[in-house]
Amino acid sequence: MTVNINELIKAIPWDDEADEAPQQALDQLLRKLAHKSLPTGALNRFWVLGTLQAKIAAAYFVHWIRSWFAGLDEKERRLNETHLKAALKLLGGMSYMRGAVMKLGQVLANYPDVVPEQFAEILGRLHFEAPPMHFSLLRELFRNELGSTPDEVFDDFETEAFAAASLGQVHRARLKGTGRRVAVKIQYPNIARTIRDDFRNMQALVLPMRMSSDWDNLREQFEGIRQMLDLEVDYENEARNMEIALNAFEEHEEVVIPRVYREFSTRRVLTMDYIDGVHLRHYLATNPSQEERDRYGHLIILSSFRLSYGKDLLHADPHPGNYFFMPDGRLGLIDFGSCCLYSKDDIDYMSECERAIEGSEEAINKSLARAGDLTPRQAAEKERLRLFREWAEWVWEPMRCEGPFDFGAPDYFQKGIQIYGDLLRRRFVRSLPLNVWLAKCFVGVRALLARLDAHVDMRTIWKQETYVK
Amino acid sequence: MRVTRQTKEKTRQRILKAAFDLFVGRGFYETTTRDIAAKARIATGTLFNYFPTKEALAMEIIAEALESGRDDYAKLRRGEESLAEDLFLFIITGLRKLEPHRTYLASVVETALSPFTSSNNNRVGEQVRVDHLEQIASLLAAHQVTDQPSFVVIHIYWALYLGILAFWSTDDSPNQEDTLVLLDHALGLFVASATNSRSRLEASHDGQH
Repeated sequence: MTVNINELIKAIPWDDEADEAPQQALDQLLRKLAHKSLPTGALNRFWVLGTLQAKIAAAYFVHWIRSWFAGLDEKERRLNETHLKAALKLLGGMSYMRGAVMKLGQVLANYPDVVPEQFAEILGRLHFEAPPMHFSLLRELFRNELGSTPDEVFDDFETEAFAAASLGQVHRARLKGTGRRVAVKIQYPNIARTIRDDFRNMQALVLPMRMSSDWDNLREQFEGIRQMLDLEVDYENEARNMEIALNAFEEHEEVVIPRVYREFSTRRVLTMDYIDGVHLRHYLATNPSQEERDRYGHLIILSSFRLSYGKDLLHADPHPGNYFFMPDGRLGLIDFGSCCLYSKDDIDYMSECERAIEGSEEAINKSLARAGDLTPRQAAEKERLRLFREWAEWVWEPMRCEGPFDFGAPDYFQKGIQIYGDLLRRRFVRSLPLNVWLAKCFVGVRALLARLDAHVDMRTIWKQETYVK
Repeated sequence: MRVTRQTKEKTRQRILKAAFDLFVGRGFYETTTRDIAAKARIATGTLFNYFPTKEALAMEIIAEALESGRDDYAKLRRGEESLAEDLFLFIITGLRKLEPHRTYLASVVETALSPFTSSNNNRVGEQVRVDHLEQIASLLAAHQVTDQPSFVVIHIYWALYLGILAFWSTDDSPNQEDTLVLLDHALGLFVASATNSRSRLEASHDGQH
């Protein structure tokens, strides 16, 4: 059974940019697997897929969790098994989590010794998938939210969604009067409540499990995810983040953040400027010159640094689908739902790290101990510090490099992933919660730049933007 | 003659309005035909010339609401809807028109549309059921699912529809959004079973070999 599942997972391609590909691949796999025709009704297929994916991931999940309570006595093991079974049933029924469940399965297949924090991180980067809505349902929701139908509010409201969004979908339309093109994001009814309830149940099932001491801060991690979720389901929060981001850039800086139309937005409807452009993969297919790719690389770094240093706003998910390469050469940035606004402590911590980039050995070690939230004894562990240091050096390398840094160099990105993997494998995962989001941002931005094969003078941009002058 | 018919219609409307106000204000079971007659300023006996029972009267109100929902459906329909969306639109336009009657709908449905009572019990209720199901049959035909839906398909539909009405009448989620979710999923199930029941049977049959 394990071999089959392994092959199954390996055979499933996963590309964040194309929602269709894994679906089709899974369809094919399923056909082979079941040797019979699939039900063709959309909903029917949706449920079958959800269940199978959940089962695949669950097989790994069970295997992995069990390894965590291997050392316990029989009574405690049985107790854990009961909780585990119930949690799995719940997980399998959460259809909006099918993408996340599959990702979890893949990660567990590749890293069977991942640690609870990694699991929590995966849960934290879920993209909740809502079932697609037809226009008649959408019109009802829209009217509930705004008191009028889309046709009354907009011109040319397109009844077909042009993109799926976390928790909903996005439609194109035009503003009456100005004719300006807008994107209207609409949330599936009651999905926020469903997710919240499911999370609460999941927490209630998982937390009583008795595990090794590494599970200690799982409660905190869950709480962090829940808070993130609360922010993400509230489109008004996203609108606020977008307005902060919008003010961060001057017209000539060529970074475009869509403007929000508050009069046509609520907690579940978000109306914003439509950004015309293509995603990274399509952009690369046009064979852009090195100079053009470098310029876009510059814009990607500038946007990330400016928001972070200038507006205390961390765009924690620099996913390729959130960047638009616009026909006029500008860079469009969307999806501010899972942004993190720094606290005073966060800024203080980050300032210390910033100073360490060019600081003394002592300053570096001090910032690493703080980053890892380490006890003095842990801070004295050479191996732990060495890996932490390697990770920091990797993040800092382009900031220390005079002149353009080659982000496309094959070994650079690989090295970062390898260090991160080592940190996880050795279970050196204790760290400030902020670091999970920061790591996501660092790796995400560098992954984009690597795919762009861009040479960018990150140091100059950093020097210009950082608050530690 | 014309004047008499007009007067009759006016009285009828007055009764319906009086009944509606009382049902909403006081509740269906708490309202008597005597109350309605008094509020409509007619003799109780006169009321029975128009409506044989309180249930028939209430069902008449519901039937009229559903009728005007059908007009909205015709207006909003774009002609490119999938079967599930078409059914959704048909039902939701009816629910929108039933909105003012939501508080007492359950009581009326219970007496006039209950699947447990004989179909002759409430003539108006029976007519509503027949009209509604005819509409569904022609909708299924328009989507080339079947020209003659079997009693199984029709009964599955009717059970879902009554279930949705019942759920909606007590749905206290904001803007009854839970009903939207239920309706969306229920129709997905219905369409799957109406369009797929044959192929599913074949598939499970194949699977046994």
